Amino acid sequence: MPQSLFEKVWNAHVVEALPGDNALVFVDRVVAHEITTPQGALEIEREYGDTLYDPGRIVAINDHVSPAKDMETAIQAKVLRDWAKRHKIALFDIGQNGICHVVTPERGYVEPGMTLACGDSHTCTLGAFGAFALGVGSTAQGGAMLAQTLVLQRPKVMRVIVNGRLQGGATAKDLALHVIATLGFKGGTGYVLEYAGSAIDALSMDERMTLCNMAIEAGATTGMCPPDETTFSYLRGRENQPTGEDFEAKVAFWRTLRADPDATYDREITLDVDALRPMVTWGTNPGEAIALGAQIPADAEASSLKYMGVEAGSDLRELELDQAFIGSCTNSRLSDLRAAAEVLRGRTVTIPTIVTPGSQAVKRAAEREGLHDIFQDAGCLWTHSSCGPCLGMSMGVLAPGGRCISSTNRNFPGRMGTGGRVHLASPAVVAASAVLGRIASPSELGVVDATATVTATEVRA
Amino acid sequence: MIIAGTVLPLDRANVDTDQIIPAHNLTGIEKTGLGKHLFTGMTGGAELLARHSEAAILVARENFGCGSSREHAAWSLADRGFRAVIAPSFARIFYENAYNNGIAPIVVDATEIDALLESIFASIDLEREVIARDDGGEVPFTLDPLRKQFLLSGGYMKFLASKIETVRAWESAKGSPRA
Repeated sequence: MPQSLFEKVWNAHVVEALPGDNALVFVDRVVAHEITTPQGALEIEREYGDTLYDPGRIVAINDHVSPAKDMETAIQAKVLRDWAKRHKIALFDIGQNGICHVVTPERGYVEPGMTLACGDSHTCTLGAFGAFALGVGSTAQGGAMLAQTLVLQRPKVMRVIVNGRLQGGATAKDLALHVIATLGFKGGTGYVLEYAGSAIDALSMDERMTLCNMAIEAGATTGMCPPDETTFSYLRGRENQPTGEDFEAKVAFWRTLRADPDATYDREITLDVDALRPMVTWGTNPGEAIALGAQIPADAEASSLKYMGVEAGSDLRELELDQAFIGSCTNSRLSDLRAAAEVLRGRTVTIPTIVTPGSQAVKRAAEREGLHDIFQDAGCLWTHSSCGPCLGMSMGVLAPGGRCISSTNRNFPGRMGTGGRVHLASPAVVAASAVLGRIASPSELGVVDATATVTATEVRA
Repeated sequence: MIIAGTVLPLDRANVDTDQIIPAHNLTGIEKTGLGKHLFTGMTGGAELLARHSEAAILVARENFGCGSSREHAAWSLADRGFRAVIAPSFARIFYENAYNNGIAPIVVDATEIDALLESIFASIDLEREVIARDDGGEVPFTLDPLRKQFLLSGGYMKFLASKIETVRAWESAKGSPRA
């Protein structure tokens, strides 16, 4: 029976079938951060003898508000830290940490064929490796630490074939927004998005992570990319991966995970990206996105227009901005920073602009090639790594009515601060907008394709 | 089990988790005491809650609970006394979180929502899987048969604790390479 990539991974992890199309699914890796882990960890401590199934399968990372901003967040970080130390769980803390979805792959903790869960919806990022990686609630994460399993309803599988080649300034972020705009904000609900096609094969791991990061924004359980030489070379020689013959034995197994040619899918869509150009969101969910320069659609949702202070038929390039942000689990890796720096080199930003690398390893790699000087010469704030302004939880919160162009993944009402307005775009578009003080394409500054000169050197910690 | 109570009509689609509970309220380490933050990220949310302060049943449009995995959304609803959310569709993670916290996520046909939004009171029979509207009508629904047990006996973690030996046996039989 021919199988999809998802089916191969799923079938290899079903411990037992459960009523109602549910299954008890083995979890190879649990990633634990300070916002959503303490509740489940404390419940296990109080009611289940503080016993974890296998602490060696857990990775703990302080990332959302790190360093802590106040007493409450300091307590969250301390609970995670003390718990990790008590159980001898690998811990990444102030100085070596970063966003969990950036640190986990950087340190070699995710690989093809794996199942991975974390109390964070953007865990789907790691599907880029051909893993089944999904966000779950704190209780489900707790269960995965107690019994190394999740109760899951088997998702349907949608094959998303992407043909053509990203060009003309279009990036993986624009592809992600295009997929969500095509499927609709909830069009992927109940599905795993299994990517395929020449445009996907050509993506670097950084780009695949950007694409899969936003699968949840179409409601999907996760996204997955077929593992290939790009995947293997990313993992080869990385910490927490074996070396030599042991690694090559893994590669031989990983090669078997690609979808069988005759695999069937619950749904299939085909996109061509040759004509795709930079995208930007106008509304209050990531599906409300248009090509930069296009008009806001005539049938736009009234409540979204009202919240964002925009009108149907208008051009987003007319809007003045209050802030720009480059960072988040979507777009904070070295290649993202290089693309932004390409636009900002020798230019000056005209609005407050925050650049937050995805991990301390990304930060150091960026500094080794002088990107921090480019950003700071341009007048940007260059910060330590964390989730940063993305979710309005610590620094960079917007004032009511404040408008921000952001390389993040959510433009929900209040996401970056009550009443704040967020427009999602690629790092290059954010950088160009920061220079001009309004939503702008890099081409307006004469930068045709900021990513064209960006090589995909993947950061090692 | 019957869930009977007044209805909070939330005539909106795509109610995301940032509107249910904004991220700056996620700074605790316990599942309790979060009701005071419910709907503080929603335009008009506080007024709506004030008008329906005793409500136990929330009725909303499609794609309720989309966005973040934050279980705080379910905890804040439970803390305010909500025991059911009725909508045409839910985001996956919220749907799972609701079951794990004693909130029945009840999926009904979109055509039923208008009348339910008009209802002042509703009674939900979880065993028979029907909603009795205050106009005398009945609306059927289907619960996940397994998660229904979690709902009735409060036991996702207990269920998984009972599976530990099964999982260990599976793992050793499979000889799965340690990830």
